[in-house]
Amino acid sequence: MSFEPKILGIACNWCTYTGADLAGTTRLHYPQNLRVVRVMCSSRINPSFIFRAFQLGADGVLVGGCHPGDCHYNTGNLYARRRLAVTKKILEFAGLEPERFRVEWISASEGNKFAEVVTEFTARIKELGPQQKLKIDELLEKI
Amino acid sequence: MTDFKQIENSLKREAKKLLESAEVPVVLAYARGYDEKHPMPFAAKSVADVEKIVFNEYCNFNMARYIMRFPDAAKIAVAAKAADSRAIVVLIQEEKVRREDLVILGISASGMKDPKTDQLIDSRTTGGLYNPVEYDILLGEEIRGQKIVSPYEVLAEYEAMDKEARWAFWKSQLDKCIRCYACRKACPMCYCDPCFIDQNKPRWADKAPQSPGNMMYHLTRFHHLAGRCIDCGECSRACPVDIPLYLFHKKVAKECEEMFGQAAGMKLEDKPVLVDFRVEDSDQILK
Repeated sequence: MSFEPKILGIACNWCTYTGADLAGTTRLHYPQNLRVVRVMCSSRINPSFIFRAFQLGADGVLVGGCHPGDCHYNTGNLYARRRLAVTKKILEFAGLEPERFRVEWISASEGNKFAEVVTEFTARIKELGPQQKLKIDELLEKI
Repeated sequence: MTDFKQIENSLKREAKKLLESAEVPVVLAYARGYDEKHPMPFAAKSVADVEKIVFNEYCNFNMARYIMRFPDAAKIAVAAKAADSRAIVVLIQEEKVRREDLVILGISASGMKDPKTDQLIDSRTTGGLYNPVEYDILLGEEIRGQKIVSPYEVLAEYEAMDKEARWAFWKSQLDKCIRCYACRKACPMCYCDPCFIDQNKPRWADKAPQSPGNMMYHLTRFHHLAGRCIDCGECSRACPVDIPLYLFHKKVAKECEEMFGQAAGMKLEDKPVLVDFRVEDSDQILK
């Protein structure tokens, strides 16, 4: 059986999540590996969410937010941009694969961009194979 | 070489003056521990306490750690070496303490020693500064002419490592962790109550000293100190199993400095980089 990655998508309510809706209503196809969680703003994302997702078996994490300057709360994504950039550097220096973590700005009208990004990211994760480094051994979790 | 005895004497003199004036009820400095080599942090609260103050080459504690222990004190005087003063600046930036409530007794010191090894502390493991960046009274002489070492020089070896080798290195290091939280206790920037690791709802990470929980604790702690770590190196010296935590903190500090153009705790008017933003920040930093 071919490898089907689990990808966590964290999408901002105002742009990316609405963009995903648009992708759906316009009948665009994209891989079903993405599980989307809606947050009110990309700055809601605690970096621990990302580490935790990898521990609980995600093979990739995709964060979607409004384009800088378009944030519903004016400045949320500008804080998020700095914070998530640091998250990426930490993953890199720890020797994890920073390619498994991606941030994209997708607006509510960019349904096709959403579909494209998900397709591309899923293909990339398939290339990288399963994420093993941070994943918690199931037996250990049960103790 | 720094004259530690002279600094001790001026520390006592200033502490006495401040406590006598009754404006400052607490002076944070060092006192003798169970022997000469193990001084301990000490809060002098009366003129009689002043005699107990010591200062020698083993006084490494970052005294900024203890400022918030005295919320009722009208004013606090604190003995601050270079890194301590940077920590104080970050605390002021984060509005944990007000500048006017502090009397900073700056200390310029070089030649500090680690009591564990009795060796000089390698300046590459710390910020490499000798003079405090912010003070009211400077005890001893400003140090000039010391070789300036880039605080990030030590990273080159690890940055050059192959990704897999780096993962193997950090995994073996962090797996040693016994979760005593000495790093958190020693850190002047770790003041959250409760710490994320102590929270039960949500339970962010496993509390057992095993690989997954250790990884989560340390990676998140590195993140929480991004743009705030002032590179005193106390976490690594406090660590009973010798995890080189300073390396990771330095790397994050370096990246923050490169991306956002500002080192932590150097200027009072700065903001810590992660509670600030620029519209012109590049999206390239996310690549």
